[in-house]
Amino acid sequence: MWTILAVNVILSIGGSLVILNVVPKFRDMFVKAHLSGVDLNKKNRPEIPEAAGVISSCIFLIVMFIFIPFPFSKHFFNKEWGFPHQEFVQFIAALLSICCMVLLGFADDVLNLKWRHKLLLPTVASLPLLMVYYTNFNSTTIIIPKPLRFLLGHDLDLSALYYVYMGMLAVFCTNAINIYAGVNGLEVGQSAVIAGSLILFNIIELNGDCWSNHLFSLYFMIPFFFTSLSLYQFNKYPARVFVGDTFCYFSGMTVAVVAILGHFSKTALLFFIPQIANFVFSLPQLFHLLPCPRHRLPRLNQKTGYLDPSVFQFKEKSLSTLGRLVLKIYQLLGLVKVENAEKDGELSQSTNCTLINLALKLTGPKHEKTLAVSLMILQVPFGELIL
Amino acid sequence: MWTILAVNVILSIGGSLVILNVVPKFRDMFVKAHLSGVDLNKKNRPEIPEAAGVISSCIFLIVMFIFIPFPFSKHFFNKEWGFPHQEFVQFIAALLSICCMVLLGFADDVLNLKWRHKLLLPTVASLPLLMVYYTNFNSTTIIIPKPLRFLLGHDLDLSALYYVYMGMLAVFCTNAINIYAGVNGLEVGQSAVIAGSLILFNIIELNGDCWSNHLFSLYFMIPFFFTSLSLYQFNKYPARVFVGDTFCYFSGMTVAVVAILGHFSKTALLFFIPQIANFVFSLPQLFHLLPCPRHRLPRLNQKTGYLDPSVFQFKEKSLSTLGRLVLKIYQLLGLVKVENAEKDGELSQSTNCTLINLALKLTGPKHEKTLAVSLMILQVMCSGLAFIIRYPLASLFYDC
Repeated sequence: MWTILAVNVILSIGGSLVILNVVPKFRDMFVKAHLSGVDLNKKNRPEIPEAAGVISSCIFLIVMFIFIPFPFSKHFFNKEWGFPHQEFVQFIAALLSICCMVLLGFADDVLNLKWRHKLLLPTVASLPLLMVYYTNFNSTTIIIPKPLRFLLGHDLDLSALYYVYMGMLAVFCTNAINIYAGVNGLEVGQSAVIAGSLILFNIIELNGDCWSNHLFSLYFMIPFFFTSLSLYQFNKYPARVFVGDTFCYFSGMTVAVVAILGHFSKTALLFFIPQIANFVFSLPQLFHLLPCPRHRLPRLNQKTGYLDPSVFQFKEKSLSTLGRLVLKIYQLLGLVKVENAEKDGELSQSTNCTLINLALKLTGPKHEKTLAVSLMILQVPFGELIL
Repeated sequence: MWTILAVNVILSIGGSLVILNVVPKFRDMFVKAHLSGVDLNKKNRPEIPEAAGVISSCIFLIVMFIFIPFPFSKHFFNKEWGFPHQEFVQFIAALLSICCMVLLGFADDVLNLKWRHKLLLPTVASLPLLMVYYTNFNSTTIIIPKPLRFLLGHDLDLSALYYVYMGMLAVFCTNAINIYAGVNGLEVGQSAVIAGSLILFNIIELNGDCWSNHLFSLYFMIPFFFTSLSLYQFNKYPARVFVGDTFCYFSGMTVAVVAILGHFSKTALLFFIPQIANFVFSLPQLFHLLPCPRHRLPRLNQKTGYLDPSVFQFKEKSLSTLGRLVLKIYQLLGLVKVENAEKDGELSQSTNCTLINLALKLTGPKHEKTLAVSLMILQVMCSGLAFIIRYPLASLFYDC
């Protein structure tokens, strides 16, 4: 087992070195293909190559392809137990889901698909996983947490709902990472921290009953961690490439895949606390209860060089009752800073409902680099707290 | 078995209807994303959305995803034989190779990767297939054709070379389709004919010994055939979309995948006779023995509205000896039409070394639509020839 893990680590490091080597060479090609974005928070608003996530994703896939024989070659597995057929097909199916997600994610970056597609694409990409799960196990029973057992019994068969849950997990993970973004290095950084935490969790659980599930998860998380670290070198402040929706899709799907097949999705979600908090906080804007601007990332204050929270503007009267109520609650809890219009006809404004803006509101304006590091540090304790 | 095939056909038809519905809606999105090409052989040189192959490929993948449970659900397979584990993992691995190929092919269309990458990408995409093959079978023995048995024995273990052969098959199929192009509808049309021929071949072989291999192949070829037919509606003359390298990669890899896993790669190659002929014919230009222009497709004659063969220009003296020899042989065989420079310093010219240009040379200038149809008929006839070679003649080479 440790030999196989060692091979995995070696291949992952090899992949990460390739990424370090290759990303600079592709930068011109991306810009020529009109795959670029403006860095809104730099003084001169430079044009940065976008969707570099496709490079790290492809290297990840190649590493995994080369790794395929190792956990399943007859030289390595325990012959007493027979060939691990189910694990083998799950392994390939997991790669198929991830590969499909990268394809659809890259198509999204290139074609600029609409928001409703962002919910559809991860569902489509998770189909192979769900289908293989159905064919292999079709086990849709969940164990009820102790406090609820008096109500629901020891376990509950969710049947079709279980598949909906698995599909939704993929949709959630991908989009939660996607909207918790806007500061150089944040998408890759948060993913790397989540991956690192999951690796730690998996290693601890290797001594437990479900060790094979956690070993399976490590096979994916280790290459994912190393390739993300390499990409981070180019995306951290000051960013030389943007990772694009491609990376967020890839990242969310990879985590969802190991969580589903490893049967530890609830634990995995615990590592997503900042993403979940950001998502819940953003809900009123996502559902257009409150106005939702195209970009909600913090704004650069040209004079100080620091980032301030960004705002959305509104007319008190044009908000729905529910919208006005939500905004009041947020204001009372100190989550947003509202500046009301002094005269009728003028616009009021409020800070956007994202965790990043909230952080800036609480700590005051910060340099982009410091903000990125702070948010990564925020991500870490949740990982260790769970463990 | 027939129930599963029926489900496959129904899903395939569903997928093809979705393509018919969806492709027009994406056209503007593609052009806005700068994914477009100029139709060089139309009077006004319109800009046409490119890489529409990614749409039909994705619909194909979705159809296959939905189909996954059917051949392997416990309701359908023969319980006496136990769960078909190897077939299941091969099925998923085949989809992984095809999906990876579509991803890399689409990246090629978007980023305009170099030619050497066109050889690397299919090799990378075929890795899952090779790795699964290694883990599952690792059978690298081939049966020697009868005429050569006195020399090599009954069978020969190629070991690593077998994997090289499988990898090369993917590279060959994808690029052979890619260079046999340039006329509206040709890439999709030739793929549809090859798929149709393979389907016929598979159905015939369902009565044979290796029926499970051919059933496996049908699971892929039927959706591929129907989705390609739908795409053809938009790519045939006058083309409303271009299919891009994405489609050529997808097409070549899907055929290579079923040929490898079905163990009938030699027969599959028989259906590629026009592609092989075009490839061999093109070799001198591909290897730059003779000058190779960026585009070798036929040229529109603005006055007649017909297509003429396209040409490349050269100086007699700057050709290598081998290049001059090859050109002479081609000229003697009537494969190219050479117009020599009358004075020193002027350029000579010759028709490009592609099957399409050769067809125009032999039949005279043609309308693009007629040319496309003629080439498809040629493909069908070559498939017929392939069947004749495979069946009566096969017993001359192998014990069947």
